Amino acid sequence: MKSLIKLMALLYALILSTMAWAAADIEINTPAITALAQSMQNRYTQLSPLLISGAVGLTADGLIGVHDAGAIPLSERQAVNALVIAENNDRKNLYQEIARANGHPEWAADIRNTFAQRWIQRAQTGWWIQSAKGWQQK
Amino acid sequence: MSHRIFLLLFFAIVALYSTSLYAVQIELNVADITSPAFAAQGVSVTFVQDGAADLRIAALQLGEKKWEKVHLYCAKFILGADILTCERGTLDIIPNLPFTLVYAFSSKKIEFHLLGDKGESLQIHADFRAQPWQLNAVFLNTQIKRFAPLLPAGTPVPTAGKLSGSLKVQGGEIGVGNVTVDVHLLDGAFSDESGLHAGEKIELAINVTASHIEQTWLANVKLDWLAGEVFWQPMYLRGSHQLQAELEWDGKQFKLPQATLSMKGIGNIQLSGLWDVDSKKLTQATVSGAGLTLARLFADYGVPFMGGEAAKTSVMSGVADFDLKYIDGAAEEVHLALHDAAYEDGKKRFSLHGLNADIPWGAEQITRARLSFNSGALWGVPLGATELQMNMNGLEFSVPVASLPILDGKLSIQDFHLQQQGEVWQWEFSGGLTPVAMPALSAALGWPEMQGSLSGMIPHVSYRDKALKVDGALLFRVFDGRVVVSSLNMYDPFGPAPQLFGNLNMSDLDLGALTQAFSFGNVQGRIDVNVNALELVNWLPVRFDASVASSAGDYRKKISQKAVQNISSLGGAGAAAAVQRSVMSVFENFGYNRIVLSCVLRNGVCAMDGEPTRDNSYYIVKGGGIPAINVMGYNHSVDWDELLNRLKRVIKGNRKAVVE
Repeated sequence: MKSLIKLMALLYALILSTMAWAAADIEINTPAITALAQSMQNRYTQLSPLLISGAVGLTADGLIGVHDAGAIPLSERQAVNALVIAENNDRKNLYQEIARANGHPEWAADIRNTFAQRWIQRAQTGWWIQSAKGWQQK
Repeated sequence: MSHRIFLLLFFAIVALYSTSLYAVQIELNVADITSPAFAAQGVSVTFVQDGAADLRIAALQLGEKKWEKVHLYCAKFILGADILTCERGTLDIIPNLPFTLVYAFSSKKIEFHLLGDKGESLQIHADFRAQPWQLNAVFLNTQIKRFAPLLPAGTPVPTAGKLSGSLKVQGGEIGVGNVTVDVHLLDGAFSDESGLHAGEKIELAINVTASHIEQTWLANVKLDWLAGEVFWQPMYLRGSHQLQAELEWDGKQFKLPQATLSMKGIGNIQLSGLWDVDSKKLTQATVSGAGLTLARLFADYGVPFMGGEAAKTSVMSGVADFDLKYIDGAAEEVHLALHDAAYEDGKKRFSLHGLNADIPWGAEQITRARLSFNSGALWGVPLGATELQMNMNGLEFSVPVASLPILDGKLSIQDFHLQQQGEVWQWEFSGGLTPVAMPALSAALGWPEMQGSLSGMIPHVSYRDKALKVDGALLFRVFDGRVVVSSLNMYDPFGPAPQLFGNLNMSDLDLGALTQAFSFGNVQGRIDVNVNALELVNWLPVRFDASVASSAGDYRKKISQKAVQNISSLGGAGAAAAVQRSVMSVFENFGYNRIVLSCVLRNGVCAMDGEPTRDNSYYIVKGGGIPAINVMGYNHSVDWDELLNRLKRVIKGNRKAVVE
């Protein structure tokens, strides 16, 4: 059962990471996940240029982080920082909600790890990714 | 002694002009030099042809910084009986900064000129025979990034900017006595590695006068931040600000007896503090300000620390007075007063106007806060003038009783308690609502106009660890009936995906008022609605056991043609109601005996049922009286989203019933 959830999470991550949110037609489909995915989709238009410029990158723990604040004008760093915090809140809630929706809140960490790997695998060329070795450009 | 001091100062200044790990010492006929702040070892001078000279220092230390293999070249080096001259001197690591040094042994005077590109220069004139001895330095367009190697690791480093101005130092036998700094920074920039603490285009005037009296340094500092921008996570600030401060330093404690920070658009803040160097702790501090403009204060220093996306566009206005006393790592006393203030959150969900508050808080005191506002709004519902008092005992806050006017009713709150247990804040209260006119309330909430009034009892409500729990049952009166909300729990009600669990039991609702409110077509009668095991996620239902049934009792029962059509259409095309066309065409209203409908929602599907019939169908409306009519349901499984869509279409009135 646990592996099934992982597989489903993997599928969902695949769909999310290609940003085809609206097409997410999998069994994990609760109002909370839909709301979170919608929220993340809305934010992606703002995050996309930051990921491309390298100002923001994917972290190893399934979140995002500021990689190169110098690429962001000073007056916009506060907003970017708030964007990163909001995105990470949604991501943490997403992992918890998938675990909760499947009746196993304790699997949130496993789901998060699975997502973390898939986000990184599906990242576009040129995005920055954090690993044990530090930040690297894909 | 003065000779040593000269060397010390000279090396300090030359070191500042070194952009890498090297600095220079010129040392003649002096062996290794050591002092608490400065040391040079392995000094050698090599004279080469044409009067040039190479000076090498194996190890140089200035404060905590160390350099090795320092190399200085003089194109023309003259060592006379009374004078030392180094002309066109260069450090090989900074080839574009040639300098000239002249030192007279007998008069103990030094002239040092440094010329760089782009108008950068430094002139030092020192006279060590004068009483007191003195050193004057004039900077012009000095690049502040030269100071970067001198700063401790991990601190933001200067990356651009030009400094012009003067430094004057006077001293006696015991060392430096007076220092005066008067400099102006243009186009300054700094950043740490992460870029989360950075500034750009900074224009800053710095004026410092410092005196060394006995064992204590006394200084008066004036900083005038004239222009530029700073991002200091999470704050973004722009000039101009001014700081005037008195400082004392006795080697153990760094004391700030008094400082005034003037912030443009906000007002003046008075500061004081005591920093203990050994323990690296702020042991005492005070911060106070009167008549502060809340709009900019809140935008610059409040909003960045608030969570939630709505908070980011929140605004405040009015005036605030603020006093804070801090001792040994914690706030001891805080006094906050608000005058004619206002708050509006970014999503227009909550606002308060005419807000006045006097909040005197002490960590170990029992105090009372007073707060009042003239008006406000919550989700569009107007709030009336309110006054309340809050008892404070450290981190325990309580409001024994408060009354909040809502339209023509009042929300009363009893025994509100807010306290911190461990790291977690929790609160609780109980209360009640006196009748609020539903037409005005529904209009304020943007709902269809509803008749009647809303009133109720609110039993014990508590919040802890993101969980909101209502003990007992909420009782309301609406549509002339009774509404009981029981077993109500919410998880993360203020988060991105709130969850709600509970039972909603409504009895004896006036169907006439209800159907009128939702433009459903008039139905006369009374009805009970039960929604048990309700689960909402993000305010959308994911599970419930719902039933609608005519209330017990004797009352008028009439259903209009339009309502019949609408109820029929809810069943969808495949689940048409059995209604006689001939009857429908003749009468506007029909009698009925009973309305029954149930919906059990699971996984997005509503399992629907009504009054049983002999076959697989069910009555939704069972006829009675004259003329009577039956509305039948045939579909036992309806997609919930589709049902909602049908309901929306029905309410909009653009859907015809399927009539047999």
